[in-house]
Amino acid sequence: MAANLEQFVSNVQTMSSSASFTNMVEYVSKSMDALAKNHAHIDTALATLSYSEHSIGVLALLVVKLSGAHIQDFETLYVQVQEFVSSCSEEQIKFAPETFAELCHKFTLQLVDRKQAQRGITILCQAIRKVQTHLALLTSIHPCLCQLCLLAKNFKPALSFLDVDITEISRESGHYDAKDFLLYFYYGGMIYTALKNYNRALYFFEMAVTTPSMAVSHITLESYKKFILVALIVQGKIPTLPKYAPQVVPRYIKPLCQAYHDLATAYGSNNPADVRSVITKHNDTFVRDNNMGLVKQCETALYKKNIQRLTKTFLTLSLADMANRVQLTGSREAEKYVLHMIEDGEIYATINQKDGMVRFHDNPEKYNSAAMLLELDKEMQKCIRMDEKIKEMDREIAVNPQYVQKVSGIHDEDMPASTSKGQGF
Amino acid sequence: MAGDAEIDFVGLSHELEAQELDAPGGVASPQLYGQLLALYLLHNDTISSKFLWKRIPNNIKQGNPELSLIWVVGQHMWKRDYPSIYESLRKDWSDSVKPIMNALNESMRRRAMNLVRKAYASINVDDFAVFMGMPVAEAKQAAIVEGWSLDPQSKFLTPKKIELVSTVTLPNEQHLSVLTDYVSFLEN
Repeated sequence: MAANLEQFVSNVQTMSSSASFTNMVEYVSKSMDALAKNHAHIDTALATLSYSEHSIGVLALLVVKLSGAHIQDFETLYVQVQEFVSSCSEEQIKFAPETFAELCHKFTLQLVDRKQAQRGITILCQAIRKVQTHLALLTSIHPCLCQLCLLAKNFKPALSFLDVDITEISRESGHYDAKDFLLYFYYGGMIYTALKNYNRALYFFEMAVTTPSMAVSHITLESYKKFILVALIVQGKIPTLPKYAPQVVPRYIKPLCQAYHDLATAYGSNNPADVRSVITKHNDTFVRDNNMGLVKQCETALYKKNIQRLTKTFLTLSLADMANRVQLTGSREAEKYVLHMIEDGEIYATINQKDGMVRFHDNPEKYNSAAMLLELDKEMQKCIRMDEKIKEMDREIAVNPQYVQKVSGIHDEDMPASTSKGQGF
Repeated sequence: MAGDAEIDFVGLSHELEAQELDAPGGVASPQLYGQLLALYLLHNDTISSKFLWKRIPNNIKQGNPELSLIWVVGQHMWKRDYPSIYESLRKDWSDSVKPIMNALNESMRRRAMNLVRKAYASINVDDFAVFMGMPVAEAKQAAIVEGWSLDPQSKFLTPKKIELVSTVTLPNEQHLSVLTDYVSFLEN
């Protein structure tokens, strides 16, 4: 083993035994370049260190190995990472969250290059659980996991993370990047869209679109396109963006999404023929953006929306008449649509084959059952928890020295305090 | 097979999902894929089954024609094409998926029956037989057992609706304290 690598190993061993982790992190980050020069001997060094006792040292060695230009023996490295993630000391890696995240990022990259996304899912799930101090903490490993799940077409493992609403972002010693945040919501939205959980998908895309920013990001742009399509499926129109959405969205992003706005306009007319002609016109754009599947879903959703509108006007309607009004081919197809919608709980109706009529009903939910009370109870609890969280965050900001200084500084110049509040973040 | 009903299908599918993720090299056994695919169909989770089918490696699909046969059932379920579902279910399944496919056949019928009960005020007995994947005489019998009435002349069935029985729980003291919390939250 090279001399300075030997030195590194013994230093890591001494510092680990004296539990001076902060010093060790500093020492390790300084030694990274030297380690990279001794690339060939890293495996020997790894063999002398214990994954659980010298986690910070091992972490650095693995990152160096993963950063190499050509990884010769990926299988060995895979096993090393797998073993490290499952046996490393949680206490130690919390001192070096940015290096741990870097390990996961580089590992993800390798798996993606090798088209083996499936193999990293369990490891990354474990990695996130190790660094999280609580379940609602977002780390920069989250988007990696989502990416692997999307590539492997295996979404269930990501759901246990996506279903939790985020209340805090891991700072990772200042290395947390805006890209990680945007990607998390973009990938998450795509996963929910694939699983047809459109409401949640819409929320995720909205998060990506409304993230404060001064410049146009491609992630935001693509999120905005999907945001429009999912919104058409869920609400039948483009919702107005909240006030805190950044100025770049109307100014630069909207003009880049003309095809999508055309689709939304045609959609607003409720006329399937108009929608179809817009789809044909912008076919190339939709295909190039890989959004054709979603566009097709919008088209089906329009028929359903039109049938739903009929329930507002009619109490009973013949199937033939319905087919005519929503431009379906005949009463048989209309019956099929109605049947599917009843099955999915999208309308309340009964079909009478004897006289070929559909009778529409009101929602049978009377809001007086015990189950509904329980539901209400759950929602109330959620609101109370959120209120507590917001109060807590507000307190944190109120005592933040930087904020206090800024607010009082502006007061001196006799400026209204309210304008500074918006930018205080 | 006796005792089919006792198999914990939900537990089994969780177990198989975990096994698939830990499979060496990211590729699981054809038997696992087959069972998981069939289980997703049984839970009426056509979305999961579609993505599972997409991630099964091609060489495994080619080496195990039964996987494609299971997926054919899934495709028909995706389109809700009842006659084709029953038709594609009528195969000689291997032992590892047989209990699941049999249970699927049963649950399809139950689901179809409930759907017809919910969606139709009257239905032609021939159409009903299509939903149930049975000969007309058998379907007629099944409907009559459920207490549905049949008009022998027009051959229209009138499904008997099930009245929802609502369980009313009486508010107790604990409930009262929860409500007190809410009111105090709202007032502050």
